[in-house]
Amino acid sequence: MQAKHLIGRTLAALSLSIGLATLSAPARADVSVGYSDWPGWVAWQVAIDKGWLKEAGIKAKFEWFDYSASMEAFAAGKVDAVLMTNGDALVTGSAGGKSVIIMPTDYSNGNDMIIAKPGIKSLKELKGKKVAVESGLVEHLLLLNGLKKAGMKESDVILVNAKTNEMPQVLASGDISAVGAWQPIAGQAMKGVPGSRPVLTSADEPGLIYDVLAVNPASAKKNKAEWLKLMKVWDRVVAYITDPKTQPDAVKIMAARSGVSPQEYLPYLKGTKLLSLAEGKKVFAKAAGFKSIYGSTKVADDFNVANGVYGAAQSVDSYIDASFINAN
Amino acid sequence: MSTFPKLLRGMDASTRKRLAFGIGSFLLPLLIWSLVSYAPFIWHPKVMVTESGGVDYFQIGMLVDKEMFATEVENMRQAQQALPAGTPANPIYLPAPHEVAQALYRGLFEPLQQTDTLSMPASLWHSIQIIFWGFLISSLIGVPLGVLAGTYVPVGRLAEPFIEFFRYLPAPAFGALAVAILGIYDGPKIAIIVIGTLFQQVLIVANTTRKLEPTLIEAARTLGTRRLQLLSRVVVPGILPDLYRDQRILLGWAWTYLIVAELIGTSSGITWYITQQARYQHFDNVYAGIMVIGLIGFVSDLLLARLSKTLFPWDRSQERR
Amino acid sequence: MNANSAHLPSYLEQSEAVQARFASIRERDVVLEVRNLNKRFRSTHGEVDALRDINFSIHRREFICVIGSSGCGKSTLIRILAGLEQQSSGEALLDGKPITGPGQDRGMVFQGYSLFPWLTVKKNVMFGPLANGQSTSHAEREALLWLELVGLEKFADAYPHQLSGGMRQRVAIARALVNQPRILLMDEPFGALDAQTRAKMQSHLLDIWRNIDITVLFITHDLDEAIYLADRILVLKPHPGEVQEIIEVPVPRPRSAAQFTSPEFLATKARLEQLIHPAPVAESENEQAVKPHMIRFTNVADNVE
Repeated sequence: MQAKHLIGRTLAALSLSIGLATLSAPARADVSVGYSDWPGWVAWQVAIDKGWLKEAGIKAKFEWFDYSASMEAFAAGKVDAVLMTNGDALVTGSAGGKSVIIMPTDYSNGNDMIIAKPGIKSLKELKGKKVAVESGLVEHLLLLNGLKKAGMKESDVILVNAKTNEMPQVLASGDISAVGAWQPIAGQAMKGVPGSRPVLTSADEPGLIYDVLAVNPASAKKNKAEWLKLMKVWDRVVAYITDPKTQPDAVKIMAARSGVSPQEYLPYLKGTKLLSLAEGKKVFAKAAGFKSIYGSTKVADDFNVANGVYGAAQSVDSYIDASFINAN
Repeated sequence: MSTFPKLLRGMDASTRKRLAFGIGSFLLPLLIWSLVSYAPFIWHPKVMVTESGGVDYFQIGMLVDKEMFATEVENMRQAQQALPAGTPANPIYLPAPHEVAQALYRGLFEPLQQTDTLSMPASLWHSIQIIFWGFLISSLIGVPLGVLAGTYVPVGRLAEPFIEFFRYLPAPAFGALAVAILGIYDGPKIAIIVIGTLFQQVLIVANTTRKLEPTLIEAARTLGTRRLQLLSRVVVPGILPDLYRDQRILLGWAWTYLIVAELIGTSSGITWYITQQARYQHFDNVYAGIMVIGLIGFVSDLLLARLSKTLFPWDRSQERR
Repeated sequence: MNANSAHLPSYLEQSEAVQARFASIRERDVVLEVRNLNKRFRSTHGEVDALRDINFSIHRREFICVIGSSGCGKSTLIRILAGLEQQSSGEALLDGKPITGPGQDRGMVFQGYSLFPWLTVKKNVMFGPLANGQSTSHAEREALLWLELVGLEKFADAYPHQLSGGMRQRVAIARALVNQPRILLMDEPFGALDAQTRAKMQSHLLDIWRNIDITVLFITHDLDEAIYLADRILVLKPHPGEVQEIIEVPVPRPRSAAQFTSPEFLATKARLEQLIHPAPVAESENEQAVKPHMIRFTNVADNVE
């Protein structure tokens, strides 16, 4: 009997302590941003760790997600903004999670790539061969553009649909001549098949994919001042990361967020072209082609429609609000 | 350490034998793992390059297939260039025991440089809380419902067909909905644990309840117990030891849902740590994380089993163990 | 046995003492009366008559045994009397009031003991009084009293699984009697016990019956047990379950093991044998299907007989 009471009391105390630990919910912030594991987005960690957000007087809460979970949370209205690609902004918006893109953070500058087996040195040599990409995603778009530039058509290669995460095994299996993947998966694929090399990277097509800060339209209107302040902080972040003197410290912070060593992280950062506000302003100039976010997003929209990601073309202009970046 | 032999002498032969088998059941897999890891002639389908020689794409530390390495050595010999060198290695997916042990130590004891990311113990603590709440909420609904469904035929007929259907629906598929309703923090994660556990729980508890000897209920009725009292005086105490065992098994199931739960909403917890480390090919850390979960599960179940001896001194099925 | 039966008196012959005893029993109040009781089951083979037109009555402090081969409905009968099952027609009256469900005016002892394994011996006995709203202290006092009567006061704090079969059945008897029922219904209570324990329990049960105001209805398939214990034996016949005969046992009381070979005892037993196993019953189909084919595994010279 005595023992029973003691156990009961211990259990009760234990549950209470676990309970109290959980109930301490985070304080409410003015704006919340969902971010995930991509160098252009992990860059914000520098501002968070250095306390620059507080310095700038912004009550912003950055929530760390898995990429697709971050878009789900945004679509469900649980965060005010999310860091994603311009193409995914269209996809999320088509399903009701409408956003406005107020600034670019970066574009992929080599982190996305088509990797061919040893012996294949150019895109042209892929003619008639099997190429694996995840249908409808960035690498698919990258491949189509590369083929077009090389004077080829989609039908010149045999497209095989596979999950991006499995590309290293797909390439190693032997049946497939090339795969499309982004870092760090692309790196694993190359490690797994020694002698394989990229025949096309996003560095060959800068601006094919822009990574952007996409904001809930209501919050964009209501908290305009906050977002503008946040963009100022971004400039400071870009400067800190690109300055060779401070870069090691920045990389250390970013690598820790991703759970890898700084040496390991550096190549991923190199494959990403971070855009300062001045550079971003140029990107937000309306034009066709990949130099402009308008042109890039239009290509993404066409691609999405062509691949059945959603039914009808969307108004690209309604997704982009240049007033923020021009106000800075 | 000196008390250990004394402890052994204090045990009877069968207990000592059982303990030996228990230790053996862990040592055996460890031995196999060590053999595969440390004996270069067992498995080791890869070669780790230690000198690139004349091969242009070889880098030090790179893992190459054995055949590929042999071909390149032959190529270099014919081209009369420097030969590459390497040692047999296992794929990166299988780290050696000492690497995992080091990763475990690092994860548990070395402080992190960054304040924002959670350390392994903190991740683990967060995961334990998710499990605790998920399992508690599931049990608060599932156990009473299961007992009622097992006791009263109409309740069972009403509840069980739908539950039988619903338990096949994959809990993770409700992730986005859970986020939309419960937000991005722990709510949706707990919900996934609940969805994953609850429906099985109702069916299992109902089944356990039905297995109660019917003559116990009849005996109670002939002794003047009224229908409503039967539940609290006979059914519940009668199934308690089996119910406790069910709960222990179900708690194990709840852990298996953790790995999907923690990818929903903001990333957190031990299984997210594992997923993230796997993404960057840090399989030593991955295995360390897996071991920690295994250890927690094993030890907690052992403690719960011990506890049941104190809680249910009349339960005879324990004597056989 | 058949050779002997020629010299036996009729089982209907009763000594004067036995006659006087039955006369006095008949004077007493009727505790239980069963009138035109029928029970029909719906089974996969259609409707089955488990009990048909059962009539009998039991007087206060009478000891009645119900006997019959398996499938004669004796368990169904006792379950209806306990209120655990409903009859199809007819009625069962306890002190003139119809039985509609289980109640503490009838105590029941099951073959499988049916003790609550999570309760100690004492708490098992306290179960009835507590269920009927008595205070814990009162229930405890009662329980200890009855445990003393069955000789288990030393085991009050033990759990049922720590006891032997005989001891468990004593607890079950104490648990039934503590409610002070009008009648004790016992469904083959000693069926699972070994011969020695069974004999001990039988004489113990007679002791209890002698000392307290209780009427007993006892189901068994053991003829010796029935004759040893009962005032009257109700013989049921199967398919459908009907009363074949109600035998007044001519064996005088007090009973003892020595009477097992007395002429009255043997005469009664012969009659029961006649009623229950009239002719060699045809074997069931399953039994017929078993045809052993004996093979010799030992040396031809190595004979045991």
